[in-house]
Amino acid sequence: MSRRGFALAETELRSFDRSVVARCHVQRPDRYRLIEALPADVQRITRGGGVSYVGASFASDSVVQDLGAFDRLLEFDAQRGLITVEAGARIGDVVRFALAHGWLLPVAPGHPRATIGGCIAADVHGKNPARDGTFRRHVEAIELFDPVSGWIAASAEENAGRFAACFAGFGIPGLIGSATLRLAPAAHAYSLRSIAVADLAEAREVLLAHAGAPLLYGWHDGRPGHFGRGVIRFGLEAKSEQHTPRRPLPDLPSAVEPWPITAWNRLGITMMNGWIRQRWCRSDSRHVAIESALFPLNDARRYFAGFGKPGFVEAQWLVPHARFVEFAATLAAEVARQRPRISLIASKLFDGEADGFRFDGKGISLAIQMPQPQAPAQAAFIESLTELAILHGGRPNLIKDSSLRADSARRAITRFDEARAALRQFDPHELQRSEMTRRLQL
Amino acid sequence: MTAVVIGASSGLGRALSVELARTGHAVLLVASDARDLAALAADLQLRHGVQVGTLALDLAVAADPGARVMEALAGLPTIRALLLPVGMSRSDDDGSLGPAAIGQLLAINLHAPIAVAHALLPALLESRAAIVGFGSIAGARGRSRNIVYAAAKRGLETFFESLRHRHLPTALRVQFYRLGFLRSNLTFGMKLPLPAAEPEVVARKVIAGLRKGSFDRYQPRWWGMIALIVRCLPWFAFRRMKD
Repeated sequence: MSRRGFALAETELRSFDRSVVARCHVQRPDRYRLIEALPADVQRITRGGGVSYVGASFASDSVVQDLGAFDRLLEFDAQRGLITVEAGARIGDVVRFALAHGWLLPVAPGHPRATIGGCIAADVHGKNPARDGTFRRHVEAIELFDPVSGWIAASAEENAGRFAACFAGFGIPGLIGSATLRLAPAAHAYSLRSIAVADLAEAREVLLAHAGAPLLYGWHDGRPGHFGRGVIRFGLEAKSEQHTPRRPLPDLPSAVEPWPITAWNRLGITMMNGWIRQRWCRSDSRHVAIESALFPLNDARRYFAGFGKPGFVEAQWLVPHARFVEFAATLAAEVARQRPRISLIASKLFDGEADGFRFDGKGISLAIQMPQPQAPAQAAFIESLTELAILHGGRPNLIKDSSLRADSARRAITRFDEARAALRQFDPHELQRSEMTRRLQL
Repeated sequence: MTAVVIGASSGLGRALSVELARTGHAVLLVASDARDLAALAADLQLRHGVQVGTLALDLAVAADPGARVMEALAGLPTIRALLLPVGMSRSDDDGSLGPAAIGQLLAINLHAPIAVAHALLPALLESRAAIVGFGSIAGARGRSRNIVYAAAKRGLETFFESLRHRHLPTALRVQFYRLGFLRSNLTFGMKLPLPAAEPEVVARKVIAGLRKGSFDRYQPRWWGMIALIVRCLPWFAFRRMKD
């Protein structure tokens, strides 16, 4: 199909968790003039790696502008640690280039095929958001394309409002074309240690005690009777160059081929938790390559495939410190009552400021992954979790949770309408629309 | 040594540029848009540390594209290869085009490659270089679609045959690839009757073949069999072919 001189393909797109699917018209520009060729009045959304869990980069009634060809490195200042890249550059490639030159991008999401534009649009967090903040802390400048105004340079000094809106703006302030990122000097490797915890309250204490570590996150058992038991992993910069045990794994693909059956039934989840516990709950330290530490999902191909064709759902909530222990206890009771199938829980420490739709604040985040989100028992538990989290002042991660409804998001995020208006002032005709923005009424 | 890529900013041209840089060649990138060239040049320099020159040139209107390319080569190492993956097609190339559109298709697909080749020929002969042209399966047999494009590609094929006839492989390696479907912006969104090759895969084979003498072949190679079948089809059957 061709519309006004540029090629569009009709194809089915699916979110990484397999829960959102739509038949879309996709444009795959490979030259700047083709980005500009889309008529200004056409509803659109930008697509990067296509690895969000919520259909943030496609919609059935929008033209999807796939920036996969815009993946080039544009400038690198090896003295100051500044790198400018096109928005379609994959974070894994940028990290590898930076590491080869002695620099590190401190915040990287777990999936190496997430693009720089996607990391900005979702304002992703990395392995210790309490120490390194979210992605916005490491972005110096952005160039973006507005269908009406054309190309716009934005930074803290120039077009500051639009610059700020790009972070957790989910593509609404415009198509991000390129970005300049601030790098930090890289260590040789990380020395990784693990501390076993009995429950989520203890996990919070351990997370707070290691807030300065460059790597800090927890894994927890989600089964009734074992709920919250797990391990906090923290990594410190290795003092010397030491042998790291294995070469980094190949990058996780953008879409993992599902197994024909769902492996994460109760038996499968029990076996997986036992395996993780045995593997991770070692008190000794070991060295890991920085790339391996930054992209743990490369080791999780079989985990994602095991959800089968129905896929999974992840709900991630950031609960303030003052309410967290009570929230964790109530959640444990709810798990004991409803007995949902939770495949894993991950915990992280946050120490930022909640603003707009950004997933930030001061507290502990829990990411809860579950198979078969459409199953009635699973859906009922997700509903209970949402209510509990809102009751305890929780803040949802909009880019993770494909099950979150607009009314829940509106109750969970203070000044929701104000935040929405702040984004849409840059897109008054509401041309930038994805399945996610439609579901959440952004 | 320098390789010149005409039509470097997208599709096979971009893949060839990346492969040349990856294998340590200095490159002169020629395409119509300076922004695309700047981005590609920066990327090749940063990732591969090679010398990169650029020339923004609209081949549809350039009076003497060969002279512009010669000027842009100044300051770069000796030219050792000229690759011409430039091409343009139109969905309305069905016999209804006006003279301006016909001129544009002929300029980009035929005139510019021949003009650049002529201008660079002395330098190519002096360095015993390679010249690489790219035809299309569309030129295998004239059809009611891609009429001007196919005619231009058939003309280019004849030009390369003449070059091969005139120069011994020891003096100038003349290589011509007839391409099957490629996964590029030209074919994006089209329902193709046969699989499309990845430009990166084709580029690796083309660059690996630069030292291999003169030839004329299909890429991917199995397209040779398809072309043979198409050529052997009796007219009454060929007339019914839509794709």
